[in-house]
Amino acid sequence: MAASNQTFIIAAYAVTWVVLLGYLLRLVRKGRRARADYDRFAHEHGEENRE
Amino acid sequence: MKPEGRLTPASGHSPDSLPARPPRTSAWLAFAAFGAVIAAQTFAILTSPADRDMGHLQKIMYVHVPAAWMTFLAFFVVLVFSVRYLWRRRENDDLIAAAAAEVGAMFNGLTLMLGMIWGRPAWGVWWVWDARLTSTLVLFLIFVGYLALRGFVDDAQQKARWSAAVGAIGAINVPIVYMSVTWWRTLHQPPSSPATLDPVYTMGLRVNAIAFLLVMIYFIRKRYEIARLERAVEHMAQAAALGGP
Repeated sequence: MAASNQTFIIAAYAVTWVVLLGYLLRLVRKGRRARADYDRFAHEHGEENRE
Repeated sequence: MKPEGRLTPASGHSPDSLPARPPRTSAWLAFAAFGAVIAAQTFAILTSPADRDMGHLQKIMYVHVPAAWMTFLAFFVVLVFSVRYLWRRRENDDLIAAAAAEVGAMFNGLTLMLGMIWGRPAWGVWWVWDARLTSTLVLFLIFVGYLALRGFVDDAQQKARWSAAVGAIGAINVPIVYMSVTWWRTLHQPPSSPATLDPVYTMGLRVNAIAFLLVMIYFIRKRYEIARLERAVEHMAQAAALGGP
């Protein structure tokens, strides 16, 4: 009984970390992409304005 | 000239300038938040004795209960900023509400999964259609619907207006979820809080709740920063398509 309870406790903490780190990774990737898009647009836009 | 009914840009730029680049959310906040979670979980696991009825299964409380609290808190943020958006029509309010809705849905999903993992050894079943579990699932589905709605609607103003309405109505389900164990006979135990717990478990629950709060604040800030960047790009693309600067 104690051993099977331990499995559920480990599963709960593992799921927590997978979800939190998974979401963190998603935000980091999405943020990097959004920042690159912004810089590219701002650069092109700035060039056009100068012309 | 500002087009009819157009939203006020989050970046506050004028049509004659580029939208300002939003400040980057500090990575130190992420390190502090995740470090706090590691410290809080270690503290709680090492200091809490086995419960008389549940034994060491009680330790799942330190992740399940803070995840549920963060769900409620995030959806409260959605309610506040959705109502503010409907009142003031500021793009910032819509983007904060959307960021909080995504983070809240993530914590809501986590709460459901942890509840199932706890329920299996404690009750003998993964799932039961009792009031607490069902209302939590309904809350989750409402906010998945909210996020899907934002994905389907292209017009920024319409998207903001509709999602503010769904967000405000959806958040009304939060007190129903919270009170469900009091209003109906459920398999789920009454709400766990420092007031209802043995003092030996209180500190562990408090520190884990604070650590989860830091994580939630970081996630919402980061998601909001991304939303502002994406919206700024949309504004620039719109301006470029209209032949403006």
